[in-house]
Amino acid sequence: MRLASSLGCIAAALMTTGVVSSDAAGPRVKADVSCRPAAEKLQYDCAIKLTDARTSETVTGAELTVGADMPSMPMAHNVRPAKATATTEPGTYHARIQLEMHGDWVLRLDLAGHIRDRVVKSLRFEDDLVIDARKPGRPSPPHKH
Amino acid sequence: MDDYLIGVLSNIGVISFIALSAYVLLLTGEISFGQQAFFAIGAYASGIATALWHWPLGAGLAWGGAVAAAAAALLGVPTLRLHGLYFAVATLAFAEMVRLLFELFHYQVLINGELVGPNGAEGFRNIRYIFDNNIGSTEFLVLVYVLLSATLLGFSLLERSRLGVIFRMTGEDDVLAELSGVAVARYKVLAAGIAGALAGIGGGLYAHLTTYVEPRIFDVMLGVHSLAYGLIGGLGTALGPLVGVLIDIGVLESTRWFAGYRMVVFGGLVAVLLIVRPRGLFDEAAVRNISRAWRRISSPKRRLSQTQRKAP
Repeated sequence: MRLASSLGCIAAALMTTGVVSSDAAGPRVKADVSCRPAAEKLQYDCAIKLTDARTSETVTGAELTVGADMPSMPMAHNVRPAKATATTEPGTYHARIQLEMHGDWVLRLDLAGHIRDRVVKSLRFEDDLVIDARKPGRPSPPHKH
Repeated sequence: MDDYLIGVLSNIGVISFIALSAYVLLLTGEISFGQQAFFAIGAYASGIATALWHWPLGAGLAWGGAVAAAAAALLGVPTLRLHGLYFAVATLAFAEMVRLLFELFHYQVLINGELVGPNGAEGFRNIRYIFDNNIGSTEFLVLVYVLLSATLLGFSLLERSRLGVIFRMTGEDDVLAELSGVAVARYKVLAAGIAGALAGIGGGLYAHLTTYVEPRIFDVMLGVHSLAYGLIGGLGTALGPLVGVLIDIGVLESTRWFAGYRMVVFGGLVAVLLIVRPRGLFDEAAVRNISRAWRRISSPKRRLSQTQRKAP
């Protein structure tokens, strides 16, 4: 009986958690990410261009951090998020990330400050290049005659 | 609090749900390699509820837990008659089947000019409840630990209840339990349902924490880890799996002492513990000894306070 009432309490608590519905749409940001290997092993330099998903205007002055998670082992690889710095080009940011191993990673771009949002990008990080993880296979090498 | 620390603590809290889910089945003597399937079902179901149907988060999480519990109980009916290796293989096969089904699952709705919802192998992005409702990462962390604390309270009551005794009895020897008049099959299905619900709630929290899910997240590695946490931490108490999670994510991963060799260390640790302490660090005997020691420490104080109360 005590167990049933406790489970009932837990269910009630669950049902009332976050009673606000998700109708309110917050700001939406679109990100174009291109990464390339840096000098150190497993370090990558990423250029991130942020635009407003609705108006296509560049997003400037954002506090951007870049984190990464491995889809094949979720929650287990806690890569320390790197703070991105704004470059001279408006809406473009630069971040250097340190991964644990090569393979498919999901980059989490967290925006704070005047815009709060998260954009995720699936990328495959290899020794010498970084490609979109959703397009399998390495790009063909340039054709030589 | 540092963002990294909040991230690590959130991960520890969320993964604890799937660890506790595997623990429930371990209590009844069953080894499941398939709890990631219910984690996935919970993640997708609660993500759909909040992102596509605009449900509140609490209702979304409860829905994720309920759908996962129903799926687990339905799976339990035919599979819990199997034992040992056969049950483990059946759960693994089911989990892979679920993962592959999510690769084929498309259900997208146009929201604010953008298609949102599960999109096969590309996954389910834009589960944006916490951003649309301005829930901060610290607030979400608090939510995770409130739910985890409520779950642990539930376990604490379960351990003291007749149901808890039946679960352990079944885990020790299900034939003997059956001969003692316990409807073993029915209780095992109930355990599977509770385990499914826990994994489903964990999945729902995960989907809202990360804002995206994709089928390959829910592969066998997640199932193996969830099982290993209980085996490392111990089966004597529900805190055991949490100790396992803390050792893996809190120590091995976050401290970076072992960097890329973490999985090797983790695998070795599981192997060593299975030989040295087959029921984990905090097994039943260890928990009994700790309880006795605690009673010894606390009883003089209690006796003293009783004497003081009696004194005029």
